[in-house]
Amino acid sequence: MSEKRLLDASSGAPVKRHMGLKASRTAANTGIYCLLIIISVVWLIPFVCIVLQSFRVESTWQEGYVIPKQWGLDNYRNLFQTDFPRWYVNTFISALFTAVFQTIIVLCMSYTLSRFRFKMRKGLMRFMLILSMFPGMLSMIILYRVLSDLGLTQANSVPGLILVYVASSGMGYYVSKGFFDTIPKSLDEAARVDGATRFQVLKKIILPLSKPIVIYTVLTAFMGPWGDFVFARYISFGTSSGMNVAVGLYNWLNKDQIAKSYTMFCAGGVLVAIPVTVLFMCLQKYYVEGVTGGAVKG
Amino acid sequence: MKKFLSVLLAAMMVMSLCVTAGASSLAGTYDVTLWVANEIVDLTKQQVDAFNASNDAGIVINATIEPVSEADAATNMITDVTAGGDIYCFAQDQFARLVQAGALAKLGKAAAEEVINANDPSVVAAAKAGDELYAYPMTADNGYFMYYDKSVIPDADVDSLEQLIADCEAAQKYFAFEMNSSAWYSAAFFFATGCVSEWETDSSGAYISIHDTFNSPEGLIAVKGMKKLVDSPFHLNSSSADSFASNAAIVVTGTWAYSDIAKMLGDNMGVTDLPSFEVDGVSYHLGSYNGCKLMGVKPQEDPVKAAALHRLARYLTGEECQMQRFEARAWGPSNLADQQSEAVQSNPGLAALLLQSPYSVPQGQIHGSWWDIAKVIADDVKAATDDAGLQQALDNYYDKIASLFTMSEAEKNGWSIIGMYNATDGFFFTDYNNETRSNWADDLELTKGDDGLWRTDNAYEIPAGTEFKVRQGKSWDNAFPADNFKVEEAGLYAIQFDEATGEITLIAQ
Amino acid sequence: MSTNSDLEYLKLNHWQKIGYRIARFFVGIPKALGRFFVGIWRAVSTFFQLLGRELADIVGTFVHGDWKTRLSFVVMGFGNIARGQVLRGILFFIFEVVFIGYMVLTGGYWLSMLPSLGKVGPTEVYDEILDTYTTTYNDNSFKILLYGVLTIFFIIAFIYTWRQNVKQNKLAEKILASGKPLRSGKEDLRSLVDDQFHKTLLALPMTGILLFTVLPIVFMILVAFTNYDGTHNGYSNNLFTWVGLDNFNTMLNWSVSKGSGSQSYAATFGEVLTWTLIWAFFATFTNYFLGMFVAMAINKKGIKFKKVWRTVLVLTIAIPQFISLLYVSKMFAKNGILNGFLMSMGWIQQALPFWEDPTWARITVIIINIWIGIPYLMLITTGILMNIPADLYESARIDGANAWQQYSKITLPYMLFVTGPYLLTSFTGNMNNFNVIYLLTGGAPTNPAASGAAGTVGYTDLLITWLFKITTGPDSQYYLASVVGILVFVVVALISLIVYNVLPSIKNEEDFQ
Repeated sequence: MSEKRLLDASSGAPVKRHMGLKASRTAANTGIYCLLIIISVVWLIPFVCIVLQSFRVESTWQEGYVIPKQWGLDNYRNLFQTDFPRWYVNTFISALFTAVFQTIIVLCMSYTLSRFRFKMRKGLMRFMLILSMFPGMLSMIILYRVLSDLGLTQANSVPGLILVYVASSGMGYYVSKGFFDTIPKSLDEAARVDGATRFQVLKKIILPLSKPIVIYTVLTAFMGPWGDFVFARYISFGTSSGMNVAVGLYNWLNKDQIAKSYTMFCAGGVLVAIPVTVLFMCLQKYYVEGVTGGAVKG
Repeated sequence: MKKFLSVLLAAMMVMSLCVTAGASSLAGTYDVTLWVANEIVDLTKQQVDAFNASNDAGIVINATIEPVSEADAATNMITDVTAGGDIYCFAQDQFARLVQAGALAKLGKAAAEEVINANDPSVVAAAKAGDELYAYPMTADNGYFMYYDKSVIPDADVDSLEQLIADCEAAQKYFAFEMNSSAWYSAAFFFATGCVSEWETDSSGAYISIHDTFNSPEGLIAVKGMKKLVDSPFHLNSSSADSFASNAAIVVTGTWAYSDIAKMLGDNMGVTDLPSFEVDGVSYHLGSYNGCKLMGVKPQEDPVKAAALHRLARYLTGEECQMQRFEARAWGPSNLADQQSEAVQSNPGLAALLLQSPYSVPQGQIHGSWWDIAKVIADDVKAATDDAGLQQALDNYYDKIASLFTMSEAEKNGWSIIGMYNATDGFFFTDYNNETRSNWADDLELTKGDDGLWRTDNAYEIPAGTEFKVRQGKSWDNAFPADNFKVEEAGLYAIQFDEATGEITLIAQ
Repeated sequence: MSTNSDLEYLKLNHWQKIGYRIARFFVGIPKALGRFFVGIWRAVSTFFQLLGRELADIVGTFVHGDWKTRLSFVVMGFGNIARGQVLRGILFFIFEVVFIGYMVLTGGYWLSMLPSLGKVGPTEVYDEILDTYTTTYNDNSFKILLYGVLTIFFIIAFIYTWRQNVKQNKLAEKILASGKPLRSGKEDLRSLVDDQFHKTLLALPMTGILLFTVLPIVFMILVAFTNYDGTHNGYSNNLFTWVGLDNFNTMLNWSVSKGSGSQSYAATFGEVLTWTLIWAFFATFTNYFLGMFVAMAINKKGIKFKKVWRTVLVLTIAIPQFISLLYVSKMFAKNGILNGFLMSMGWIQQALPFWEDPTWARITVIIINIWIGIPYLMLITTGILMNIPADLYESARIDGANAWQQYSKITLPYMLFVTGPYLLTSFTGNMNNFNVIYLLTGGAPTNPAASGAAGTVGYTDLLITWLFKITTGPDSQYYLASVVGILVFVVVALISLIVYNVLPSIKNEEDFQ
């Protein structure tokens, strides 16, 4: 094969072919640019629409057009006449606490399962795999009752939500375990030989290497509470002060409210999206590293 | 044992409380959660303050008022009664569900009498399970009619469904009429042709019988009319006011959308009753439901608080507060005195409801599942290609309704009497339990004796000329005799039936 | 096919290998079933052997032990304290006190009520003077079931701890007899950050999982055997009670039963399951291939602004779905912006039935799901693509492979190998993809035949949204929802089992290290 190629090379033809190759590559790249532009437009349209509608002043309901006839910040101002700030604070608090505690739990779990070899390890992992096959939706009913017995529903649903988010987060160890698996074990063993305890190994050697996965875990944990409307709605019903943004905004789309609150919903949506998006943009690099380091290794 | 003791203890506590409560007064401060629709939160706050100032019992209500939509209130109450609002508002279709879930406290006897006298009887009926009153009527405006855009629809066309559809198609504008996802609206076609679907509950809120004629020749005419609408490419399955903002020319909805639509359409807003449709040269005016909103009190363990809550609920649904809600939000009152006021009678939204009212039927109690069963008729109708398909839609509906009352083996094998219970005026027959039965619609069950013969439990005063049959499993598959049994001579009879021979005997008492 | 030798198997191409493994899986089912039952028999017999051994050991410990050990049988931790292991002893003792206190105060009541789930429902009393009815709530079936299960958990934990207590006494006697010292409390504590560090790390997460995942699942499974629903809510109305296998009979019986509508629950379940599988298949693979394609396009040499393209796509991950999906759902409505635009341009005469027609709706949700899913896949595949050794492509290019050949011979097999586990989890994840369906269509359009008294069933409903609808439907039939939940588990487990047997890359986790 390579002989034939050599022959071709000596015949002078390659020059022409090289030109052709370059031309076809430019053509291909142009095609790809077109495609990427189309994709970007399609991906951005809904967000642009939401943002535009949030600035519409002339009406508060859905309209058949997108670009406001009259621009203004009325919708944002009106948001502060409602319970929206309260919902926002609620969500922010639960996101913050969830991010901290969930990260601790997930890291404990995944580090242990990646690094330690103990009697029940395989059984434990299999057990959790089986647990994860049950639809979580049903647990809602009973978790509500448990929380309500603890007094953590309705007005107190923020701590209740944090508890539930954090308590079951150990199940989501896969991604970070995959990441820990990629850190060579020889590092630990060398330190152990030097007399370090397991805890010291974790603190001094593993954690510094785990920045991407820690940030990935924090980020995903922080983002979760902003979008939860099913469970949050189930435990905070009937008490506006205990709701999170998702529940509050979702209620604005009720039949009897949508005509009055639709543009306000868009404005609220924009305000919700801002912190999460900014955070995501800044930490995107780690997110990608975490995801690719862990997600595919199971 | 321990549990028994605690029950006993609790009972004793309740009793002692009763005694002390009777002796002392209701005076005191009560923490109360109220669930009301978002738009009346502020108004309700003022009304509670007014109650605190005006009540003579010294009750002070420390109210937390939460905006909970009438649609959510029932679902939330059923999820957890303990966490629910002490007083809450809901639409009447949720009533039986709430009674069954134990989420509504019965009204006291005196209070019930007062409420019954002060309010529209059709609304009071909606708050009753069996003979017991479980909720306070709050509005009587839960019906629908037609809003239209005058710039698209000429006023001359508003009486004809066909004309309206043609106008919409010509203008490429939508005709919004919620057909596929709400039986509350789609029933309009059936009421147009005189079909009925009426349910009866016992005092625990459980449904015991239905009188339903949707699956009938009249029902077939109704679905023919419905097909005209759902087949139009410009029919929109929506009852949302903002449909006008996204290309609708007609929206069928209720008074609650009035102010929104007025803002959207301005001078172009037209409001009128529903149109008529034509089948085989006959015109049928669309009917509608005529319903209400109710206010309920959650069952309480403390009789004193319960009494205070009922006082408050009575005040909030009284003449004064209903009028205030009408003035602030144009909610149509159920209070008879309010209904007579000039302002109420001249309100444009309520006027349209009034225009529609000759064709509307009171909603009464309807099985929660009925809504889900009936709302798919429109989908079946749309899929149908011919009259047989339309009939199939009705048959499907009927089967599902029948499946709500699946019978046990004993019921399937049991025999019952059906017929004219009262031949002279062809009307109702009252038996010993004060149950009323419709002619040729409701069965009177027979009991099997030790000798294998079936008999009525009681003897009945039967007039001459009364006709009836005996049938098995409440179906016509097995019925005796082939021609109706006729009572020749009036008298007090027990009826006996021999299933081996099919022989019916009247036993004079 | 089953006679393939190893050599012949190696000759097959990638797809044939997969096909071969699938076929082998099904051929092997009878054998596997046989093994399964033999396994169960063995497990049961091992269990009893183990139990026997444990009992013998416990009795032996009592008979041969000294007085400290014997007293420890009743007063837990006594032996530890007497032998100087104060910390352990106190913990054992506290646990025993707490357990006994709990059982006496409430545990016994919950346990005794468990078989009946409550006897006395709420009672109503009329007060003449105040003219009011008051309600007294008595037994609460829900709490009885919940705390009954919790009590059983607690009892198991107690038996385990008690056994540990006995074991430790025996061990301590043995160690002391051999003349060695026992571990001090300090050493115990130190071991918790060293050789027993995994226990420390797992304690908190596992407690959480036990209470907030395992307990609810056990409860949910038990609910499937009761008649818990809106009218038997166990508290403010009727109590609920055990009904045996009735609910499974209702759900799996093909004859039409009460409340199911004009077709049986089994038929509806079959329809919804079929669509769930179709949906999961397309949702997984459209995203997978298109995501890979977009990643490759962005990563292609000579494409500029890589970061910009990625950022644009990643926006869909950052913005909560309830905002973006609800908005998109309204965009595609009959009178939505999209139809309005197409009509105003004169491209269509009447609205496209995105949400009205079953087939349209199903295709639309799959397409919109691509919009949601591509960014994730783009991120994941970007990383993996970079990991593919560049010299593989180099040598392929030298061999004259065109772009498609490079893709199908190098990229795809590599990707499939590495992302095998991910594909499986994303398939099962899509089966339970509540958000996309609930926010976009809510299950619409309605399937008239399948909808009945138990609520509306739509053509785009997945098992999980159907389950949700049953729960929140007019009768709140929690028991039926539980049955559906259990069936979802069975389906997911079955699929996972098949895939595990077919995909080799999942089996051995150590391979990746």
